[in-house]
Amino acid sequence: MSDDYIFDVKNVTLRFGGVVSLNDVSLHQNRGEILAVIGPNGAGKTSLFNSLTGVYRPQVGTITFSGEPGHSVSVIGRKPHLLNGAGIARTFQASRMFSALTTYENVKIGAESHKGLGAVGAMLGGPATRRGEKLSDSRTWELLDFVGLRAEANTLSASLSYGARRRLEIARGLATNPKVLLLDEPAAGTNPAEKLELTSLIRKVRDRMGVSILLIEHDMKMVMSLAERLYVLNFGGVIAEGTPEEIRANDAVVVAYLGSSDTGEAAQPSPSETEDTDAQG
Amino acid sequence: MIKQWLGSPLARRVGTTTALAVLLMVMTGPSGSTSQPTAGFVQSFSERSSFFGLFVTQRWLVWAALALIVSALIRVAKWLKSDYAEMVAIPGRLARSAQAPFQTKKPVRFGTYGVLMIVAILLPVFVTDGFWQQSLVEQVAIFVLLALGLNVVVGFAGLLDLGFVAFYAIGAYATAWVTGALPAAAPFGVHLDPFWAIPIAIAIAMASGVLLGIPTLRLRGDYLAIVTLGFGEIVTIFLNNEYGITGGSTGSHQVPHFTFHVGPIKYAWGLGPVPYYYLTLGFVVLFLIIFSRLEHSRVGRSWTAIREDEVAAESIGINPLKYKVMAFAIGAASAGFAGVMTAAQTNFLSPQTFLLSFSINILVLVIFGGMGSIIGVVCGALLVQVVSTWMDHYTPFGFQSQDLYMYLGAILVAMMIFRPAGLIPARRRKREIAMSEAGEGHMDEMLTGDTP
Repeated sequence: MSDDYIFDVKNVTLRFGGVVSLNDVSLHQNRGEILAVIGPNGAGKTSLFNSLTGVYRPQVGTITFSGEPGHSVSVIGRKPHLLNGAGIARTFQASRMFSALTTYENVKIGAESHKGLGAVGAMLGGPATRRGEKLSDSRTWELLDFVGLRAEANTLSASLSYGARRRLEIARGLATNPKVLLLDEPAAGTNPAEKLELTSLIRKVRDRMGVSILLIEHDMKMVMSLAERLYVLNFGGVIAEGTPEEIRANDAVVVAYLGSSDTGEAAQPSPSETEDTDAQG
Repeated sequence: MIKQWLGSPLARRVGTTTALAVLLMVMTGPSGSTSQPTAGFVQSFSERSSFFGLFVTQRWLVWAALALIVSALIRVAKWLKSDYAEMVAIPGRLARSAQAPFQTKKPVRFGTYGVLMIVAILLPVFVTDGFWQQSLVEQVAIFVLLALGLNVVVGFAGLLDLGFVAFYAIGAYATAWVTGALPAAAPFGVHLDPFWAIPIAIAIAMASGVLLGIPTLRLRGDYLAIVTLGFGEIVTIFLNNEYGITGGSTGSHQVPHFTFHVGPIKYAWGLGPVPYYYLTLGFVVLFLIIFSRLEHSRVGRSWTAIREDEVAAESIGINPLKYKVMAFAIGAASAGFAGVMTAAQTNFLSPQTFLLSFSINILVLVIFGGMGSIIGVVCGALLVQVVSTWMDHYTPFGFQSQDLYMYLGAILVAMMIFRPAGLIPARRRKREIAMSEAGEGHMDEMLTGDTP
């Protein structure tokens, strides 16, 4: 294992009863990399995400996360909230904001979730609590500015547009000071203009905050322009790995998507397929 | 035609109010027997009785009129675009209501609280009747404390706790134990003043809340309700059967009153209810401050997050179990505290007080007032407790105290239909209900992902 890997996944198999969702998957992500995982519906992409964040517990294999060089933790068997504390943040396929809270409150929850319990302090309203509140307030505003949601701070998160919800989820994840951000189909349900905004935002997250990005996406244009390296999953296994150019030229990938040999351009999924993915959430 | 009408809101309202009227006829009629279960219903047509000494008529007429008035009032309320109307209007209005200032202006708020405080302080001056003074402590103030505590569990953390009475019982019996009023010897043979029982009872109640919570709070919804219900029963049965420890079904009659003795200041609470009223009022105010701070703190926001979407909450580092146990412990502590107040004030303990129906009673107060809304819960507790005490004491139109839970049940049903978020809804809860009606919510949604 290299010290430069932020995620090192080795021979992971995840089963639900008799159904094999991930089959002997091995992959790694370099520190500071924008890595994408693509594949047809049902290929096991979200299962991989859920295994990486501790929601699912693969039966076989190891997943090592090292937020800092030389400081690694084993992911399998750890609870999601502990992994978040270690530096893994994520967004969901169908945005899962706390919809009865405002944009501001959503981000603030992320900013303050790792500051101990403080029930007694909260009840008494002591100076330490007030200082903590101030800190998370300024952090929240900072992040809202970063994703461009300051104007929507007091809007209920449920009444935000799809694009704004995605940005809110990213801000909420970033509020927990992660080392890696896992984005599960960030472009699903967004319009072309929002897609462009998201692409530049994701790049900004990596460049300015130094957060590694792991991305699942169906929108090939976005994936190819963002990702530095890709893995292709099909039927729970890795079928290809490489740079966007290499993947575009890979026959196995084209077959997985279209079932027959065709040009690389056709790797873009049809609109109906994208819609199916949305309906799943 | 008929089918269409049956589906209309008007038909629903007529149906509901008719059902309500029939229910009231059955409930308020002369007591029937198992051989004549419909006696109340039948006699409400055939017999005439007196109402409030004002007029004599058949009972069904009164209830039908009442049902009509109620449905008319609901109409008017909707027409006035009350909170309810706002609640179902999505999402433009929802967005606007969120953009409104988060809280009313400070001077207005503190002014209102000040006026309410003065009213509460002067109340015993105006309420000179001994029965009502007693009831203000035993039936109202204590219940407000309990409802505030259960609101943390049910309203803030969203956990259905049907065994809340157990912690109340634990608090009360812990008081009796440390003051030496139980067959079980007081710890170290020292008989303490009930004031010292407060921290001890709170600690014991809290510890039992944590012990019950850690294994059971992994369960969701209905399962948790059943486990807590079982816990409540276990505690009651223990109190009833362990003569050597708890005094069994006779309980204890010797819990001393509070006394206060620091330096030259000496005061002893006695049989008079007014000093107890002020003592309890002080604690109610303290609880109000503490809990509203908690609601608007990190802890309160985390509870909301867990209630709405546990998976998302975990993904941003919130440990659901920890926060649920915390809510449980805080609820248990306040019930334990209420137990101390009751034990010291009435001097008397009996397992018959700590039944399942008591837990349900507190739950009704919380749901009626508005889950998660502190001010709503206080108002709900005041209203329901004052009215039920009044009905119990003056027995208007043949009310019998064993009927109380039928009425409380009817209140719950009516609330669920007409005002599901409660009398004074919590802002966040209101939004949640409005959104789930619009199909926007994420509550109890399955984990998203590729189907394996």
